[in-house]
Amino acid sequence: MRHKPHLPYLLVLPALAFLAAILYPFLTGACWSFTSYRLSRGDPVFNWGENYVRLFTSGEGLHAVTITLTYAVTVVVIECVLGLGLAMLLNYGRYGNAFRLLNVLPLMLPPVVAAIMWKVMLTENWVVNWLIESTGNAKLAWLSGPDTALLSVMLIDVWIFTPFVVLLGQAGLRSVPQELREASSVDGAGPIRNFVSVTLPMLMPVLVVIIAFRGIDSLKMFDIIYTTTAGGPVDATTNLHVLAYLDGIRNLNFGMAMAALIVLWLLVYLMSHFLLKARRKDAVS
Amino acid sequence: MTTILSSPPPLRTQSADRRVTVQRRKRKKALQHTVVIALLSTWTVFALAPIVWIVMMSLKVPEDIVTYPPKFLFTPTLANYADIFTGTQFLTPFINSIIVTLGALLLTLVVGLPTAYALARFNFKGRESIAFSILSLRFAPELLIILPLYLLFQKVGLYDNYLGLILAYQLVTLPMLVWMLRSFIEDLPVELEEAVSVDGGTRWTAFRHVIFRLIAPGLGASLMLSFIFAWNSYTLPLVLSGRKTQVITTGIQQYISFQSIEWGPMAAATVVSMVPGTLFAIFALRWIVGGLTAGTVKG
Repeated sequence: MRHKPHLPYLLVLPALAFLAAILYPFLTGACWSFTSYRLSRGDPVFNWGENYVRLFTSGEGLHAVTITLTYAVTVVVIECVLGLGLAMLLNYGRYGNAFRLLNVLPLMLPPVVAAIMWKVMLTENWVVNWLIESTGNAKLAWLSGPDTALLSVMLIDVWIFTPFVVLLGQAGLRSVPQELREASSVDGAGPIRNFVSVTLPMLMPVLVVIIAFRGIDSLKMFDIIYTTTAGGPVDATTNLHVLAYLDGIRNLNFGMAMAALIVLWLLVYLMSHFLLKARRKDAVS
Repeated sequence: MTTILSSPPPLRTQSADRRVTVQRRKRKKALQHTVVIALLSTWTVFALAPIVWIVMMSLKVPEDIVTYPPKFLFTPTLANYADIFTGTQFLTPFINSIIVTLGALLLTLVVGLPTAYALARFNFKGRESIAFSILSLRFAPELLIILPLYLLFQKVGLYDNYLGLILAYQLVTLPMLVWMLRSFIEDLPVELEEAVSVDGGTRWTAFRHVIFRLIAPGLGASLMLSFIFAWNSYTLPLVLSGRKTQVITTGIQQYISFQSIEWGPMAAATVVSMVPGTLFAIFALRWIVGGLTAGTVKG
C-alpha cells in the first residue's frame, strides 16, 4: 500500500514533540549535576564535577550504590527462581488458572499501598511478630532494625513482583514444545537435566525480558523504600534514588541530587544496553 | 516412562504386570498433584494473607484493631467506609486520582495510537531510534526528569495543577501504550489493509473499519494497564502535586505519617485503592501477557 512520504512523520509528530519537551528538563538536570545548586543559595554555579567526586569520596554515594546493587541483584534472583518455579507448578495441572488469578493480585495493588500494608503488619506489636511469638521465637525489629530493614524491604518487593515473573514465565513455558521434553526424557534425561538443557534455553528470550523489566525497576526502586523506611534507619536502605530525593527535596541540594540520579541512570542504561544486546543475539540465532 | 523401561519382564502374566505399573504410575501422579497443590496453596496463602488482613482491618471498630494478640473473630462494621466517603481527606485525593488518570490516558491515546500505528506499519528513517527513545522514558529514573520539572513547573504555574500532572504522567503511560499497541498491530497481517485498498478504500478507511476493530481488545487491555500504572504512580505526584491535587497514593500515606494513626480509615482507603487493579486482573489480564512478551513467545 502506497503512502505519502511524510505520513509516518506526521503520525509520530506528537510523540516527537513530547520527546523533545522531555529533553529540556533532562538536559537542565544533567547540567545541574555539574554545578553547586542549593535552592536556598541562589543560582547554580559551575563546579567541575565536584558533586560526583564528593558522591564517591564521602562514602555516602558508594554506600548508596552498594545498596542499590545489593537490592536489585538479590530481588531479581529470588523473584526469578521463585517465579519460574511457581510458573512451572501452575502449568503442571489444570487448576493453574484458579490459582493464577489469586496469585496475581499483589502485582495489581499500588506498590505504595502494598508497602504501607506491610509496614503496618510488620509493626513491632502486630500480626507478623505475633505469629513469630506464637511459634516460640523472639520478635524481630523488621523495618526499624538496622540489620533487618533492607531484608524486610526486599521481602515486600518479592511479595509484590514475583507474580510478574510468574505471568511472563508461564507464557514462556507454554511456548516450549511438549515433544522436546518428551524426546529428551526418552533419551534418559532426568527432570533436572531436562530443565537445564531443554526448558531453560527455550525460555531465554522471555527470561531476558523479565530480567530487563525487574532489573530496571528494582535498580530505581523508590516507592517501597521511601514509604516504609524513608531510607533509614540511618542509611540502611538508602539507595541512589532515595538518596537523590533526600538530597533534592529535603535538603534542596539539587546539584548533588542530580549527580546521584545521573549515576543511577547510567547504571540502568548499562544494564538495559547489555540485555537488549543479549536479546538481539537471541533473535538472530 | 522410566518404570516401564527399568523393570525387567517378570514371570507373571503380562496383563497383571501391566495393572501393577499403571497403578503405581497413577499413585505417583496423584502424589505429584498433591505436592503441587500444596506448594501452590502455600504461596497463595502468603500472597493473599496481607490483603485479607487489611480487608479485615477495614471492617473492624478501632478497639478491635489495636488489640494484641490480634483478633480474628469480630463483628464487622462498615463505619470506616462511611467515614472515608463522607470526609474530604479521602474523597479529594480519590477524585483527583480519577481526573488525572483519565486525563493522562486520553492524552496518551491521542499521542500514542498514531505513533504505534506508524511504528508498526511504515518503514521510515529513524523508526527504531524513535521507538527506543519512547521506551527509554520508562527506563529513566523518575526523579531524573521530575526534579527539574518541579522547579520548571513552579515557574510556569503548572505545579500543583491537573494539567501539569497529566503531562508528567505521560512518562508512565505513553511508553507502555505505544510499546504494547505496536506489537498488537504488528501481529495483524498487512494483507488486511491491502485488501481494503484493492476495493478502493484509503488507509484511513482500512484503519477505521478493519485495524481498529481487530486491535480493540488489545487496545482496551493496554489502556487498562496504563490506567493501573498511572493510578499506582507515586513518585510523580509526591513531587509535583501539592495540597490541591493530591492523589490517592500520596493521600493514603497521610493516614500514617501523622502522630495519631487512623488505622480503620487507612485500611478502608487502602481497600478502595485496590479496586481498579483487581478488576483489571479479572477482566483483562490474558491480553497483557501477549503484549509484554511481544516477539519472544510464539502462540
